[in-house]
Amino acid sequence: MAHQLIIQPQKSRFSLNLREVWQYRELLWTLTYRDFRVKYAQTAIGFAWAFINPIFSILILSFVFGTIAKVGTGDANVPHILYTTAGMCGWTYFSAVLGGAGNSIIGAQNMVKKIYFPRLVIPLSKAITSFIDLAIVLLCIALLMLFFQILPTENILYLPFFLLMAIIAGLAGGIWMSALTVRFRDFVHITPLLLRVGMYATPIAFPASAVPEKYQLLFYLNPMAGVVEGVRWSIIGGTPPSPYAYISFVVICFIFIGGIYYFNSVQRKMADIL
Amino acid sequence: MSGFAIKVENVSKKFELGVIGTSTFYHTLWYYLDKLKGGGKKKVDEANEFLALQDINFEVKHGEVVGIIGKNGAGKSTLLKVLSRITEPTTGRITVNGRIASLLEVGTGFHPELSGRENIFLNGSILGMTRVEIKRKFDEIVDFSGVEKFLDTPVKRYSSGMYVRLAFAVAAHLEPEILVVDEVLSVGDMEFQAKCIGKMGEVAQSGRTVLFVSHNMPAVKNLCSRCILLSSGRIIQEGSTTDIIERYMNPSNTRNDKGINLDILEKGKGKDVVLKDCEIIREDNHTKVLIQGMNRDKNLKMIGVGIKIKSQEGVVLTSISPKLTNFIIKFSSDNFRCAFVLPELDSILSSGKYFLDIWFSVPRLQILNYYDNIKQFEIKGKDIYNTGIIHTQKTHGYLPIKTEFKVYSN
Repeated sequence: MAHQLIIQPQKSRFSLNLREVWQYRELLWTLTYRDFRVKYAQTAIGFAWAFINPIFSILILSFVFGTIAKVGTGDANVPHILYTTAGMCGWTYFSAVLGGAGNSIIGAQNMVKKIYFPRLVIPLSKAITSFIDLAIVLLCIALLMLFFQILPTENILYLPFFLLMAIIAGLAGGIWMSALTVRFRDFVHITPLLLRVGMYATPIAFPASAVPEKYQLLFYLNPMAGVVEGVRWSIIGGTPPSPYAYISFVVICFIFIGGIYYFNSVQRKMADIL
Repeated sequence: MSGFAIKVENVSKKFELGVIGTSTFYHTLWYYLDKLKGGGKKKVDEANEFLALQDINFEVKHGEVVGIIGKNGAGKSTLLKVLSRITEPTTGRITVNGRIASLLEVGTGFHPELSGRENIFLNGSILGMTRVEIKRKFDEIVDFSGVEKFLDTPVKRYSSGMYVRLAFAVAAHLEPEILVVDEVLSVGDMEFQAKCIGKMGEVAQSGRTVLFVSHNMPAVKNLCSRCILLSSGRIIQEGSTTDIIERYMNPSNTRNDKGINLDILEKGKGKDVVLKDCEIIREDNHTKVLIQGMNRDKNLKMIGVGIKIKSQEGVVLTSISPKLTNFIIKFSSDNFRCAFVLPELDSILSSGKYFLDIWFSVPRLQILNYYDNIKQFEIKGKDIYNTGIIHTQKTHGYLPIKTEFKVYSN
């Protein structure tokens, strides 16, 4: 018989078995579909809600920073609303994944306690659902550029790289938070707090150059700062991301890999802890 | 093909009481700070460890249907969870030859907002079926569940019966080579339970390997050829279903000459109301269950007393609970004596072994002490119709009711 399965205590926390996640890809799609359906089922305007939320946060941010605080758009010569939307583009995926994945395993605990599957599938399904949020912001940018008759610069060639960074950062954050929330329930409260603080500590609606020189290094300790600057720069041009940003990309990759390992070590005890 | 489907070797599972699940960020931080300071103090002392499974070894051959039985807390569920890979064993190794699926509950992952159709696909893929497989069996599943009219209705609008039927229909069409099933399957009404057991029997007969965990002795007797008896995380005995069920119902060989299970008496100690002696006195036209006990709690003014008569398979034939009867003892001293006077048992029970449970409670509030299978007694078969044929439990059922028969001529 071809199938042989050996169950024994995992010796090393470095055996990841990511191939198994691939074997369970159908479950991953089904759970993603479920999340998507459930999110908009029974609402009167359904999928339109997916547009309304980001549009309102962009409008508010742009109004507060652009119209009231008048922080300007740095070297980029574009309307503030487009500037903010482009900034939002780098942030939105990260925030959607973190928000969704944080509680995801606790939310799925009935499943986790009753059946086996690679637990990584749960936060990953949230990460896939969050692509919708990213796509919507990208669509908003395209519409605004059409409206203001602005052409993207040749920097757009770098967009895939920076978007990839945004996605890796989102996955990293989501995986860490979902595992940490299982281990320490405190993270149920920490995650939203982190997102709220992060939203203002990240140059979404203002240029990084608006931050005083002495805080610059501190500012770039936030790995999302570089990502957001990079994504925006590749869409509408302006000041290229600070060299600090590239350090944060390396940091993001390490956080991502570390997250998978941490998740793996928590995964073994997940059903006992929940 | 290797000779076994499942081979379990030296499997143990340790839980750390009060650590897992209650640990906060703050605690962990202090723990690591402590460690840094060079304390290296062990976080978990031995007393806080709990061995849910200890050194479990067994083998299941291909095509065998094996029952796992034991009292609550014996480690059945933990063993099942380890086998289903929901939780990891602390030590040991399990080898499984063949595709294994486990069913610890029906309807895992069902989402109330989604329609029956969507939930079939959802639940199916959670159980490990591929999309193609589900599509192929879709009509069969719908047919089996009998909810085709409501397929596009969200399952939250289903009656609980429909919900369970749909959930079981999906599970029943799972076709693994090895199936691990928990007794939670036996939810729902009697008819549904019978359907579940019937389906299980089909699975068993189709030559697949089944591991069945249950409290339902008649079902175990029906389905399983072999059983494993667990107690306190260890395998007590392994053998033919009849032997194991007998042992399970009659857990201790340390009965004294009065037939009282001393082990259980010991266990009762430490609680405030304890049983000291119990006797079944058979008289001509009635049976007396005489109970002597002691109360150590000065604040307790009265208790309720109940008894249960159970068949060898564990079927409760009657439960004379103080909730029902209001049989109450008001304490005047520490010791108390009481008796349940029943009709002569020979006239109401058919042949076989029976077991008696006794419990003390604060009626409607709390069970103070429960003595499971405290007494065993035997009833002989009777020739109630004077035909020379003895009414026995095995062939004629539990109730030796003497019936009259009349023939009317037109």
